[in-house]
Amino acid sequence: MTVWPAPKRSQTGSHSQVFREETMVIKSPQDFGAGILFILFGAIGLYVGSDLTFGSARNMGPGYFPMIICGLIALIGLIVTAKSLAIEGPAIERIRFRPIIFILLAIAAFGMLIAEIGAVISSILLIMFAAYARRDVNLVETVIFAVTTAAFVVIIFVYGLGQPMPVWWGR
Amino acid sequence: MEVFAHLATGFMAAGSLENLMFCLIGTVLGTLIGVLPGIGPIPALAILLPITFGLDPLSSLIMLAGIYYGAQYGGSTTSILVNMPGEASSVVTCIEGHQMARKGRAGAALAIAALGSFFAGTIGTVFIAAFGPPLASIAQQFNSPDYFALMLLGLVMAIVLAHGSVLKAVAMVLIGLLLGLVGTDTNTGLTRYTFGLSGLWEGIDFLPLVLGLFGIVEIIRNLENPPPPRETISTRMRDLWPNRQELRDSIPAALRGTGLGSILGILPGGGAVLASFASYTLEKKISKNPRKFGHGAVEGVAGPESANNAAAQTSFIPLLTLGIPSNPIMAIMMGAMIIQGIQPGAAVMTTRPDLFWGMVASMWIGNLMLVVINLPMIGIWVKLLSVPYRLLYPAILLFCAIGVYSTSTEPFMMVLMIVFTVFGYVLFKLGCEPAPMVLGFILGPLMEENLRRSLVISRGDPSIFINRPISATLLVATVLMLCLIIFPQFRKTREEAFQEE
Repeated sequence: MTVWPAPKRSQTGSHSQVFREETMVIKSPQDFGAGILFILFGAIGLYVGSDLTFGSARNMGPGYFPMIICGLIALIGLIVTAKSLAIEGPAIERIRFRPIIFILLAIAAFGMLIAEIGAVISSILLIMFAAYARRDVNLVETVIFAVTTAAFVVIIFVYGLGQPMPVWWGR
Repeated sequence: MEVFAHLATGFMAAGSLENLMFCLIGTVLGTLIGVLPGIGPIPALAILLPITFGLDPLSSLIMLAGIYYGAQYGGSTTSILVNMPGEASSVVTCIEGHQMARKGRAGAALAIAALGSFFAGTIGTVFIAAFGPPLASIAQQFNSPDYFALMLLGLVMAIVLAHGSVLKAVAMVLIGLLLGLVGTDTNTGLTRYTFGLSGLWEGIDFLPLVLGLFGIVEIIRNLENPPPPRETISTRMRDLWPNRQELRDSIPAALRGTGLGSILGILPGGGAVLASFASYTLEKKISKNPRKFGHGAVEGVAGPESANNAAAQTSFIPLLTLGIPSNPIMAIMMGAMIIQGIQPGAAVMTTRPDLFWGMVASMWIGNLMLVVINLPMIGIWVKLLSVPYRLLYPAILLFCAIGVYSTSTEPFMMVLMIVFTVFGYVLFKLGCEPAPMVLGFILGPLMEENLRRSLVISRGDPSIFINRPISATLLVATVLMLCLIIFPQFRKTREEAFQEE
């Protein structure tokens, strides 16, 4: 939903001259990455699916449709990659590791622990981990928020909607 | 008159106290999530999907429909007051609605959007009631080749309407199809692409996929690029009434929008987004002074808002009669129905008339509730906009995680959700839009099955697709659409349309 502006490259100075030399090859990093991703997807699909019987149009085997699709994905990957070498396009935005790592940790902790320690404490843990996806965390506020939200959510899901899940540990 | 008999059945089913309550909860929760900046109907539906699972099928469908309308309505509220579209279909509302808000007419814009939507929703409901049964009987003449051609058209339309590069959108659809094929092949019983994981034998689970791709990636995106604080325009109850001039301008626009939206909604690939863009363009074209547009033209709110609601309504028709979702939102609806054990299609109308008509009736009830309950509650929704994001996102994340856990206690589901979060994040970094992928994901197995059956009937001769009139027509439409993508002039307008965001 965001329209990314095309990267601006300075063309002055000897330092950026080197930079330009390097970036001449890939003109659209985003498309280049997407193209490679598609090629990988298609190639893995073709490789894994190669065991499946292909069959014929008259009698399609389990491999028929997926192999065609994987072939098409790889083909588009090639075209997108080729285009990314020829046509200017947006750069890949810098990856910020903090948000994604803490968010994933929060889900992983919740998923691994809920069966052991119950919904209340794992929910609190999830919120604590998630809160640290940002900098400048206010610990007191977060703890209070985590406890109330966990209580609220557990009441809705367990008592309101009757979802079967352990509330506390030891069950 | 049969229409009214059907509708009566529906209102009987949907009008029970219990179902009215679920409808209300659905619309309120939908608005609640939809009003949050940056969250459109797709993530809203995904996040709230799990809470509908414990209910019986009719109640859960009623609640889902309520969530959908609520989310859309919440999205327009945010567009008008904060100038932040939750999703593509409220982009247009942003253009004129926010301009109106800046001129002190926020209340009027909100009221016109709500009343226009309600009117369009009413017409849309009658539309479904009137055209549902005839379309269902046409659907009975549909054979495998026709279904295949129809799905192909739907996918091509999804590509036309996707943001950004056409090629990438095609690849996303194809990857979706492939992901949809993971699991046991229905024909041979062989497992495909399961990588030896028993959790994938029954296919990739729908909920972790949508929650990862839409719910959680959205959170990470917002954390990486915090949306700039925008001025929220406050509004009071007494400003809510449009003045006479505004009403005079908006009524014909709402009528045109409703008509346009109702028709565009039925088309494969059609739906709220297409309808609102089309209506905006139409209003701009026929307006006596087009210069008003971009500076708070009330027609630019009334038309598109009516159109997108009418289309949201009528886009249920292909899903309910043919069993084929026409856009990513309907794909999520279909996923929810399948989880409930309902295979959408013409059969639902005859085997479970209470379900079909109950849902249709509940759409209208949901729309009514939106106007009656939500409009006076505008103040509360606006307050919600001031809840800091640092508190909102952990709660949303918890909701996603508990939602997945409540549908399946398998730890593998969390792993899947993490995998799709990472995948969605990579796609976001590489500028690929995941919405068309969901449509492919839902259609994958159906397309394969219908292709297989078609080719068995014709003994491997692909000309069967051209020899049958229905599939031939659909294929011609598909080719025309493809030409539109390739034809440079249209491509330019498509790019311009998305530039306006």
